[in-house]
Amino acid sequence: MKILGISAHYHDSAAALVIDGLPVCAVQEERFTRHKNDAAFPLLAIEWCLKNASVEPESLDAVVFYERPMLKFDRILTCALRAFPHSWRAFPAAMKNSLGEKVWVRGIISSHLGVPGRKILFTEHHQAHAATAFLTAPTRHAAILTTDGVGEWATLSVGEGERFQNGATKITLLREIKFPHSLGMLYSTFTAYLGFPVNEGEYKVMGLAGYGRPTMVDKVRKLIHRTPDGAFKLDLSYFDFHTTAESSYSSRFVELFGPPRNLYEPIDLETSEGQRFADCAASVQRVLEDTLVDITRALHKETGLPDLCLGGGVALNGLANARILAESGFERAFVPPAPGDAGCALGAALCADRIHFGNPDREVPDHPFWGPSVDGSELARLAGEDGYAFDECEDDALIEQTADDLAEGRIVGWMDGALEFGPRALGHRSILAAPHSAAMRDRLNREIKYREEFRPFAPVVPIEVADRYFELPPGGRRLARFMSGVFPVRPEWRSRLEAITHVDGTTRLQALERATAPRLYDLLQAYERRSGIPVLLNTSFNLAGEPIASRVVEGYSTFLRSGIDVLVVGSTRITKRESLLTKTKEAVA
Amino acid sequence: MSVMHSSLAHFRPTGFDRMLAPIHRWVWRDSERRVQKLLRFGQTETDGGHDILRAAEMTSDPLLRRLYLKHAIDEYRHGELFRRRGTALLHTLPSKPEPAFQADWLAPGGHGLDDLHVEDESDNDLLAFLHLSEKAAASRFTVYRDVLRNDGPTCAVFEEILHDEVFHMSYTLTQLARVSPQHHRRHLWRARLGRLWKGYLRIATVLAGAMGTLFLIVQYFILLPPFVLLAKRAARREQPGWTPISADRNGSLDRQY
Repeated sequence: MKILGISAHYHDSAAALVIDGLPVCAVQEERFTRHKNDAAFPLLAIEWCLKNASVEPESLDAVVFYERPMLKFDRILTCALRAFPHSWRAFPAAMKNSLGEKVWVRGIISSHLGVPGRKILFTEHHQAHAATAFLTAPTRHAAILTTDGVGEWATLSVGEGERFQNGATKITLLREIKFPHSLGMLYSTFTAYLGFPVNEGEYKVMGLAGYGRPTMVDKVRKLIHRTPDGAFKLDLSYFDFHTTAESSYSSRFVELFGPPRNLYEPIDLETSEGQRFADCAASVQRVLEDTLVDITRALHKETGLPDLCLGGGVALNGLANARILAESGFERAFVPPAPGDAGCALGAALCADRIHFGNPDREVPDHPFWGPSVDGSELARLAGEDGYAFDECEDDALIEQTADDLAEGRIVGWMDGALEFGPRALGHRSILAAPHSAAMRDRLNREIKYREEFRPFAPVVPIEVADRYFELPPGGRRLARFMSGVFPVRPEWRSRLEAITHVDGTTRLQALERATAPRLYDLLQAYERRSGIPVLLNTSFNLAGEPIASRVVEGYSTFLRSGIDVLVVGSTRITKRESLLTKTKEAVA
Repeated sequence: MSVMHSSLAHFRPTGFDRMLAPIHRWVWRDSERRVQKLLRFGQTETDGGHDILRAAEMTSDPLLRRLYLKHAIDEYRHGELFRRRGTALLHTLPSKPEPAFQADWLAPGGHGLDDLHVEDESDNDLLAFLHLSEKAAASRFTVYRDVLRNDGPTCAVFEEILHDEVFHMSYTLTQLARVSPQHHRRHLWRARLGRLWKGYLRIATVLAGAMGTLFLIVQYFILLPPFVLLAKRAARREQPGWTPISADRNGSLDRQY
């Protein structure tokens, strides 16, 4: 049975193809269009998935969209009515937006792919999140928590998933919290207040939180109240996101927290203003964590299950995930590599396969590499055309050479095999560097990532020795598999791992199994033979504002435009020498 | 480098841009507007850089790839120059600027009002488009530089960017003649017509959008009020907290609501 899953129209659209119960490919549209978090209908991603699997659209058994468009429209219209007359500005834009395209999803899919309308199915948004979280996790019976900004109406859902001995699968969502009461929107409101782009800058808030103290927790608690049944509600007088698209917070919010940051002014943590913003970030982070811990603790008590599957954009918050693991009572927490909306494409397809069609459960491979692959010969061609010397060598020699480069302080662009699905570079599209000195972190921020100084870098370490360098609680290794948890660096190693140790002594590590990315694993071991530590700094292969490089030519252009010293694609390696670009300009001028 | 300097010295804005100089002078006179315009230009140049980078990644011509890459890097640098200058001026303002009438149609940035869909363009068409676009930008930036003579640092930013624009203008024309020696003039004319067509589409879209907005606002105030009462009453009855999910909602994937 061939099932195509699609997520689109909000942010980070994606397509995923499931054949006979197993994912075959999954990729975000941004990786083709090169527009970060591209929300457009993912035509290029769909085309690639179908072509890669040699599937004609007419042979698809079903196409599954990741939410119910009419239910979402119901929410948009209802919110506009409830906010009358304050919603008069937002109403025309919302209607044009919805009625122009978003409610006609069945027709759009049908016309693009030529599949009949009866083959087009719809999951609920949080059902797709739950399916992504549970059906890709190696567990038979688990509690499920999905949290994000908003889907149709739900902003947070809890439930259970179970795989039975006879191959049947069941996902039951038990209850939900409805819009506008939303943990994701609370966090996003602070993201906007702190001058970062919503749905993109939440990582920055989390990074900034490390520099602050949660001195404003009481103020944040004025915004979110716990209800007697253990849920929460927002005090909507502090927010505007439910009435207008132009602003997330109200004037009352500004009265409480002070003036917002101008997005063009960098945060200077040496000033009281900069510290205020950091304290704001730390405070909302604390309240988010406390709320999630309370909800998951109650869920654990209710279900009595040892495993918890987390889905939705909020599951990208590694600090919160680590606290949930430590304090909720669950023994293991599973976060898929793409817990956000992009991952819903895969979740929707798997949900249709297991739940709608009732196909027997199959174990989903436990890795994130479902995108297009790279070929070293392509780099050789590009380098040859541009007059760059390149090496093509055997794996062992290449890994030893790359380890030498890293040990000598060079920064390496690393492209290997299939692209990761999800926002994180997990060893196939990475920029690697020695993790030891703060100077390396500063160099990466300054010459390569062009990003704020307060943002931390993550390490990758073989899973077997992760405990030696990092304080992992029971279950921590699993959370660290896809960089989903933030854990302390052991104090005795912090001075030797400065580049990946955040100001609060933590890091968001990736614990790597050899089977997941064997060449990177071998590189870690080769690096250990030189430095004594099998840890590398691993950051995504992109520059600020760009999606992760997918094709070789994108990695190559990133290499040329930045301070990356060495580029490795498959078995091909090039190093930087004099700037060919300058020569080209002079020659042409 | 001397080639570029002499090109810049001889570059003259178009008659149209010269004619609009008094308006540009008025647009740029206001300090808050100047800040916001510079910051917006920063974003426009960066976006232009993304587009040209995409062109570099799409073309199969190695020389064009290198030139596009260089061009993209220049655009990113221009974005940074505008942002830095805008931010520096921002600090000199007595209060934070509020979003206001920016007169963007009168004083557009790098690629101005043109849309660029790199994936849909051949190298010929893209070079023709870029040539015209850079030429238009160079013409406008010359006027901006001239009307900003009393603001030395901002004037210097435009001066520096103009050097690159003239180079971009020149290489795109040279390369267009190389990749399409027989038909490069035809490509330029097509690009001119394309710009006109896109301009028309943009105006038509804005007008249609404005009419649609007006129509929906009228509906909002005339048709919606009875439903508002129902919606508000339902909202009052809604209890915050958990809402149970019925079993049948976990089942069917056939419906859209």
